[in-house]
Amino acid sequence: MKKIVVPGELVSSERKKLGGNVYVANGKVYSKVLGITEEEGDIASVVALEGKYMPTVGDVVIGVVNRVVFAGFGINLNSFSDCFIPKSGMREELKQGDVIMGKIEYVNEMREADLEFPRKVFGGEIIQVTAVRTPRLIGKNGSMLDLLKRGTGCELIIGKNGRIWARGGNIELLKKVVKFIDKNSYKSNLTSSIEGLFGIEANSPAPQMQQERVAPNANAKGFAKKAQAPVAEATKATEEFETIEIEGADEASNQSQKDDSEDAA
Amino acid sequence: MSGKQREDCPDYKKDKKRVDGRKMDQLRPLSIKVGVLPNADGSAYLEWGQNKVYAAVHGPREALPKHTASPYKAVVKVQYRMATFSVPQRKQPRPNRRDMEISKVLAEALERVIFTEQFPNTEIAVFVEVVDSNAGSRVACLTAAACALADAGLPMKDLISATGCGKGFNEIILDLNKEEEDAPDAVDIPLAILPNSNEIALLQMDGLITKEEFNRAIQMGIKGCKDIYEIQKKALAEKFELTELTPAIAKAEVKGEKASATDAAKPSKTEKKEVKAKKVKK
Repeated sequence: MKKIVVPGELVSSERKKLGGNVYVANGKVYSKVLGITEEEGDIASVVALEGKYMPTVGDVVIGVVNRVVFAGFGINLNSFSDCFIPKSGMREELKQGDVIMGKIEYVNEMREADLEFPRKVFGGEIIQVTAVRTPRLIGKNGSMLDLLKRGTGCELIIGKNGRIWARGGNIELLKKVVKFIDKNSYKSNLTSSIEGLFGIEANSPAPQMQQERVAPNANAKGFAKKAQAPVAEATKATEEFETIEIEGADEASNQSQKDDSEDAA
Repeated sequence: MSGKQREDCPDYKKDKKRVDGRKMDQLRPLSIKVGVLPNADGSAYLEWGQNKVYAAVHGPREALPKHTASPYKAVVKVQYRMATFSVPQRKQPRPNRRDMEISKVLAEALERVIFTEQFPNTEIAVFVEVVDSNAGSRVACLTAAACALADAGLPMKDLISATGCGKGFNEIILDLNKEEEDAPDAVDIPLAILPNSNEIALLQMDGLITKEEFNRAIQMGIKGCKDIYEIQKKALAEKFELTELTPAIAKAEVKGEKASATDAAKPSKTEKKEVKAKKVKK
């Protein structure tokens, strides 16, 4: 049975392994946040429904250049403090407002993050969602991400900091679907509903047309044409992104495995 | 001691009923709604009798000015303000001594429940705006602020539930209104507790009261706070309803798009179809 708990509400009065967002007082387990808890199982944990992004090592994030100084760039990661990248760490010269992606390499005790392999991303749009709900956009073993990619034909990078970068395909549809997932992230049958919405099954073999790589600037109209003649050179970078992103997806799904187990079934 | 003379006053011991018809241990009608302000990280709107309060939470965010930041914990900053039209006589909008005092005590009460050590070098800014008031606005603000903090997803030990209690018109009463607060023998005790552990987060007092009466008032206050806690819990849970999704719901909510894999690849055609369909309808 799923239950909504508020901060300070009892999660379990039994001895259990401690999961996320709980604390122990007088031998009982209480919730720290507004979230959802599962009564069964031997882990007492709460899945948060709201919250800001807390940088964690290994997360793939999307940042926006906030300020440029002589020595480097201040990057807004949708967190409490900016992340600093020295100019020597970037191949490209960045301007204010540029979008970069990278993996968090190190977080210090002040929750300031260092980025590994920061890379500028070109074009596209950013969609903002609640940071704690991004695991649902990735799904178990990246099932939701796969659905979104195939259903909308967009190139996608999902940053764990609540930013989604999308390019090409049907971005308008993607925005609506992402908004829907963000709003209903805590409800059951989410993946199957999205499967029904797109009319495709998650993790089923992709149709031939969509397995082909698309040129980065392929807009929705020319999608079908360009898909048949992929531009290998231009998509190299994208491929690399995707490998990183799927690693991130696995971690995310491990974290929210319990939460997602229903959907996978 | 403003207002009525002792002779004109009602006597609650005789009347067994209060000026607004409530029982001695009855709260004014209270309703809370969370997530009302889209630009804030967390927010709440509260109506408690005639009191109307908005609370907004921003952060954790960079503490500015920088010297206010602590490398050990987040700083909780509360701004309590009353709108100029919230009281019968226009209130000067500049923050006065009372506003600053209430901001301080609210910040100290809220700091007790937040796990501030998780967010070093940051500030958690809470803004509470009283748009209408009729006694007990600080407890209304604290109740709303606690809901707004939970709505912002901040890790907290507990919620805070607060109410006024005390004495007025010769009887111990709960949740005093303005008339009772102005009674000649009035004692106003704003009380805030952490409802699960019964720890006290805020306790102030104004007036003269015996020890026995004080204890009775506090007991009544704690009982009132527990009732308020239930309302807070309900308000927070109301934002999220645990229902099951179906593809039909998804299709209806992501409206305007008859989405399928093939449509997605050719959005221009579907758009054209929709435009045509709309024209036909017209």
